[in-house]
Amino acid sequence: MTAASFAQRAHPVRSRIPARVAILVACATVLCALALASVALGSSGMSLQRVLSAILGTGERSDTIIIWSLRMPRLAMAGLSGLALALAGFALQRATRNPLASPSVLGIVDGAALGVVVFLFLFSNDANALTVSIQWQPLAAVLGALGFAGLVILLAARTGAPPLRVILYGVALGALAKAGVTLFIVDGPVHRASQAAMWLAGSVYQARWADVQVLAIVLGVLVPLVFLLARRMDQLQLDELSAQATGLPVRATQLMLFALAATLTAAAVSFAGAIGFVGLVAPHAARLMLGGRAGVQALGAALIGAAIVIAADLAVRVLFAPLEVPAGAVTAVIGAPYFLFILIRAGRVHA
Amino acid sequence: MLKGHSADQCEIELRAAALGYPGKLVFDALDLSIRPGRLTALCGPNGCGKSTALRAMRAMLPTQAGSVLLRDTPLSQIPAKALAREIAMLTQSPTAPDEMSVEQLVSLGRYAHRRAFAPDARADREAVAVALAQTNLTELAHRAIGTLSGGQLQRVWIAMVLAQAAPVILLDEPTNHLDIAHALEVLSLVQRLGAQEGKTVVVVLHDLNLAARFADDIVFFRAGQVAGCGPVEAVFHQELIEDVFGIECIVRREEASGRPFCVPLAACPARRDRLVQD
Repeated sequence: MTAASFAQRAHPVRSRIPARVAILVACATVLCALALASVALGSSGMSLQRVLSAILGTGERSDTIIIWSLRMPRLAMAGLSGLALALAGFALQRATRNPLASPSVLGIVDGAALGVVVFLFLFSNDANALTVSIQWQPLAAVLGALGFAGLVILLAARTGAPPLRVILYGVALGALAKAGVTLFIVDGPVHRASQAAMWLAGSVYQARWADVQVLAIVLGVLVPLVFLLARRMDQLQLDELSAQATGLPVRATQLMLFALAATLTAAAVSFAGAIGFVGLVAPHAARLMLGGRAGVQALGAALIGAAIVIAADLAVRVLFAPLEVPAGAVTAVIGAPYFLFILIRAGRVHA
Repeated sequence: MLKGHSADQCEIELRAAALGYPGKLVFDALDLSIRPGRLTALCGPNGCGKSTALRAMRAMLPTQAGSVLLRDTPLSQIPAKALAREIAMLTQSPTAPDEMSVEQLVSLGRYAHRRAFAPDARADREAVAVALAQTNLTELAHRAIGTLSGGQLQRVWIAMVLAQAAPVILLDEPTNHLDIAHALEVLSLVQRLGAQEGKTVVVVLHDLNLAARFADDIVFFRAGQVAGCGPVEAVFHQELIEDVFGIECIVRREEASGRPFCVPLAACPARRDRLVQD
């Protein structure tokens, strides 16, 4: 047989790609449907027609205001933060070769939380009110997140530690940050505690266009980087020695993925708060549906992550109205059992 | 980009190389030459440094002193991808996700040949197809590797190494966990392909008789030293084997192939101690 005929034999793998495309299109469709529903439903429901005409600028003025200044930024914030958390979890799972890795284990979320409570502590006056605008809170969260991410990455880079150890560094630093958060909350005025609790649970209901813009710009830089590393992430499916033998600089790649995951997480949680389990569930579900090719899986994870947070935010609005329950509560309610499911399944495989 | 063969015909050379792991030096000054186009077996008792020497040949552990050269170029001066195009290596217990297909796994061997963002090139697909055919895996190309038998799986890993299309191939105990039939199958495959394509193959082998049966050259290690090194005929002798492994044995010749083989009789630690003291 000639080399050319061998190449043709290899062809059937290509023919499976349309199945993946179909799944991706289905994910995107679900995402769009959720987005439309999210805009239409709220404390006052609207028909699809009203929604569309408001979006196109031909609707009633009150509809246009509700949609463009209240619901759309909230939708965009939910989608973008879900996407960022999903990709962060994806990068971490690839860097560690562990399907249970997620942004919350790296200590970054706890670092952001510490930033928030320190901010609330520093800028509260005796009258139990903030002395500066609450709009600075995301900045405090970013500083906290990046500070702790920096510590974890510094430790990882200095010791050249294997991924599992890096995660343990993250867990340890996260515990430290968590202790700090508890101290600041216990030892402070009431408004600070409730404000912090809101953030800690993860919520998008206060989203503003300015925040969305900042997040979108940051993601515009970070997300392409994830896809640029796709081929390297494919190689990382091999054990470290084998990956190295094929020519991949393993430690450098893992470090890049850690840094990317840390910044993606910091960006997302700074605005939307500690929305849990998206970074764990989305990449895992994408892998089940789309297989292990890094580029395809990343795309799927991003769509699913966005859909999960939008759906969670929609659920809290429809189910708990007029109360504003944080979206993170819903993702946790769905995500935690899923986490258990993965654990039990993985346990069975390894046994 | 790398120089051609030098006059003394040496593919990989270790010069007074100090090798080891943090806190444990395995070799303090290892001198060893691997000849091109030949199948060299690295043999010796547990912990003698066979795998350490093999890893050093792929720049997988730092050389604390001395140097490791590929055709007279120090490995440390060759960039990661270029080195992977020159030397492929099958590690001792490689792993990949169970659900990965045979073809996907084999195509991971092409990493060093791909440009950063280009899709799979035609040359890559052909190299993968050829590697699959050479290892008799074409029919299994779309099977998930988790569904394969141990022997099949080892062939898949060898196909991945072949797809890397490097002139030098290092194999770290490729017959581990394989029954004798699959071990023979894997080694004759390696021997045949190596000879066909003029590849330089270095194999760490536990089983002396497999080494005697398939290798051109054998290197015997003993406690961080080279105890013997050369063509099978020249080194596969009773005296040396008894000293290296601390055993009593008989070495005979198999009529049909003319290859020697060894029948171990009893452990004899005294012989081993004698060699270490020398």
